[in-house]
Amino acid sequence: MKLSTAIARAARSMREEARLHLVAISSLTIAFLGLGLTLLVSVNLDRIADAWADSARISVFLRDGASRTDVEQLRMALEGLPEVASVEHVSASAAREAFLAAGPSEGDALASIPADAFPASLEIALAPGVTSERSAAIGARVAEFAAVDEVETYQSWFAELDLVLGAGRGFVLVLGLLVLLAVFFVVGNTIRLAVAGRRQEIEVMKLCGADDGFVRGPFLVEGAVQGFAAAFLAVLLLTAGFVAIRAELDGTLGALAGIRTAFLSPPLSLALLAAGTLAGVAGSALSLRRYLVV
Amino acid sequence: MRFFSNDDDRKPGKFAFFRAGLSPSAAQKPILVFEDVFKFFQRDQPTLRGVNLTIERGEFVFVTGPSGSGKSTLLQLIYRKQTVDEGRILFCGKDVARLTPDSIPHLRRNLGIVFQDFKVVPHWTVFENVAVALEILAMPRRLVRSRVAEALERVGLEGRGEHVTGTLSGGEQQRVAVARAIVTEPALLLADEPTGNLDPHLALDILTLFEEIHETGTTVLFATHDHTLLEQRPHRIVYIDGGRVRDARAGLRDLGGTQLPAAEAPRAGSRSEERPSNVVHLASRPARAL
Repeated sequence: MKLSTAIARAARSMREEARLHLVAISSLTIAFLGLGLTLLVSVNLDRIADAWADSARISVFLRDGASRTDVEQLRMALEGLPEVASVEHVSASAAREAFLAAGPSEGDALASIPADAFPASLEIALAPGVTSERSAAIGARVAEFAAVDEVETYQSWFAELDLVLGAGRGFVLVLGLLVLLAVFFVVGNTIRLAVAGRRQEIEVMKLCGADDGFVRGPFLVEGAVQGFAAAFLAVLLLTAGFVAIRAELDGTLGALAGIRTAFLSPPLSLALLAAGTLAGVAGSALSLRRYLVV
Repeated sequence: MRFFSNDDDRKPGKFAFFRAGLSPSAAQKPILVFEDVFKFFQRDQPTLRGVNLTIERGEFVFVTGPSGSGKSTLLQLIYRKQTVDEGRILFCGKDVARLTPDSIPHLRRNLGIVFQDFKVVPHWTVFENVAVALEILAMPRRLVRSRVAEALERVGLEGRGEHVTGTLSGGEQQRVAVARAIVTEPALLLADEPTGNLDPHLALDILTLFEEIHETGTTVLFATHDHTLLEQRPHRIVYIDGGRVRDARAGLRDLGGTQLPAAEAPRAGSRSEERPSNVVHLASRPARAL
């Protein structure tokens, strides 16, 4: 069947059954909105993970009474490593001041903590792209130095973050599958209703020698239009919502994680539109099979 | 006779026998041959039993018999709505019973089919109902317009293309169906009780229309249980009863003595009351088994 004929027939039937198609597109839009929202959360969780991965660090807590020479040797050794971006020596009094500055302003109780309650440390900023395994290896090596009391590589914290991100990605995947099922279901039922109303047309066409492709063509176009329109509307609504609350989100995320929020990338948005279109076509094709025998 | 084909048809292979330009040997063969055809809908009770029948090119043949005798089944076997259980049906020399499902549309593109219930789409325009047969052949739009206009003129519906089909009278809707059936200039025109839903004078009009189409060389198989029509026109008759076929090449005279069901007696007020004197009304004759 010529595509132009299929499109013309689909356009006419969509005009004739406009309400049916509008209801279907509305239902699908809600489903795609859910998927798009989850993708958006996932994208921003990834950004947080990337930002934290880029600012990976190791805290090396020094023994009380560690000699200045030992600390300097350790510092020089660390600065010689390609994975280390910078090393900063934080004295006990500097640590106390930093703690007091960052902590609650309850003043007297905290201010009375003596400086020697805070260990001096070397704060190591790692270069971007250093893996957690390499970070752990550096930490283990540093722990062997006599001046070192304890090493914190924040591995467990990153493991928990990875767990959260993994769960987020899993959720997106499951939701994506659910949305695809919803699309199949909604498009399938819409097309089934449309087919039921047009069985006579189908019979006439088949008796005139139409092959399955000719009969199927307009329905596939309708499914594609429904899927595409729903995905497009969802992206549009998501964009509008994102723009409306972006300033507030940026303030919160900036304070918590030091990043700005990001919207779905153009390729991801296009993929969502393509997925909507393809799911619409597939749902339509599956629902048509049993009506083609005349 | 002209056969239409789409792009697929132009490729050599399984559909080649339906293409334009049949070989001389194919063109000389009967257009339709039934060879010992059986069709069962119930075990041990065949609807058609051992049907042997040959339809030559250019013939006009009535298929008649009591209701439920298998007239429609006979036609449905030709356009593969039903499949043969035994025997074979040769259309243009090829066995339609052995066609794969993919080939059935190509068979139907070479047939024109008209039904008792018209099978037109009521919310489509007259033009759309007729044009669909050509759109299936992927014919260019301009050609579709001219061919549809020509077909509508032949059935007496010129200038009615933009009318919504559902608003037409029964007789006009049947004319639309006839226009759709002939617009592709099919090799064989099958009419399954095309006058069954029409009043007597419209029935005769439609029969006349089929005869005009037949005069252009189209083979017509016209199923009807309306003996008024058989009496009006001296065409070959294929009479089906109890699953068996009796072929009356000279029309009703060959069926002399065949008892017709009372329901099929001429309708009061129909034109059969004005039947020619050389036509014998079968119902008035003594019953005799075929």
